[in-house]
Amino acid sequence: MTPNEPTAYTAEETAIIRKRQAGRARVMGIALVGLCVLFFLITVVKVGVWG
Amino acid sequence: MTTATRDIILPAEWRDFWALTKPRVMSLVVFTALCGLLAAPGNIHPVIGFTAILCLALGAGACGALNQYFEADIDAKMARTAGRPLPARRMDRAAALNFGIGLAAFSVGIMGVAVNWLCAALLAFSIFFYAIVYTIWLKPNTPQNIVIGGAAGAFPPVIGWAAVTGDVTLLPILLFAIIFLWTPPHFWALALFMKTDYGAAGIPMLPNVKGQRVTRNQIFGYSFPMAATAILPFALAETGLVYGIAAVVLNLVFLALAYRVWKNEATDATAMKPEKQLFAFSILYLFLLFAIFAFDRMVIS
Repeated sequence: MTPNEPTAYTAEETAIIRKRQAGRARVMGIALVGLCVLFFLITVVKVGVWG
Repeated sequence: MTTATRDIILPAEWRDFWALTKPRVMSLVVFTALCGLLAAPGNIHPVIGFTAILCLALGAGACGALNQYFEADIDAKMARTAGRPLPARRMDRAAALNFGIGLAAFSVGIMGVAVNWLCAALLAFSIFFYAIVYTIWLKPNTPQNIVIGGAAGAFPPVIGWAAVTGDVTLLPILLFAIIFLWTPPHFWALALFMKTDYGAAGIPMLPNVKGQRVTRNQIFGYSFPMAATAILPFALAETGLVYGIAAVVLNLVFLALAYRVWKNEATDATAMKPEKQLFAFSILYLFLLFAIFAFDRMVIS
């Protein structure tokens, strides 16, 4: 059985899933902010603002 | 996660996705790529250089994820790999596949747009070579798996170099050749004292198929062309004396350890001290050789 298949999770399992989702969301958020900064810097370098 | 009462896999933690990328292998990839980048003639903007190394790291992570996806069943049979996210059932297999393909596409795309398309093509080919040619085709079918498959791990310094120059010349090809020829003695030393583990998983590593004597002969045999190739950059006047001396010393130590492996007749892993020493030194060897190579080239330039 995979997480994609419909299943009735117990309260304990649901709590674990929510905790993991929150952890993944935090890491993804940090990664996205980092990529936004990187893409901005790449654009600035590519258009030659800094020579 | 598997509960005590039900056999279900809950959504994985972010740490499991991180483990999927094989961070230790990634660190060697990043290091050799950085050395190739620093040793190349010319300049690269630090932002673009950082992006090139980041894309290489993500590409290496994709290789790790796809490798673990394809080898989940094999990993479950080996003590060294049984704790990985898929065999330990902490992660759904589809999640690992999606993660690997996503990382591969993202790293190649960003490399092409931000750095150059030669690097992107080399990165795409190395991911394909490792995940498909090595993992699916070579590894389960031939004892020469790590000889040919070693090419995948030899690309990073070439890509690092090409990020700066936009082309591939003799020197990055020599860097490629050093890693390519270093891979067999490095992995076969490990395979000798992990023979039982590989045998249990049904992987045709050289010690299991051809025996320990042939493997020890091959380890010693490969050490000579590896040493010659490592000294070539100095012999061709592409580096200074610092690298030349370091290359000679490091390769003499490597050859001495390989000689001890060649002379060893032990069949039990507990008596394979020379093999363990060679494996440990081979990692230090590559780190030092490439670090000194990059340092020497930077001083020259």
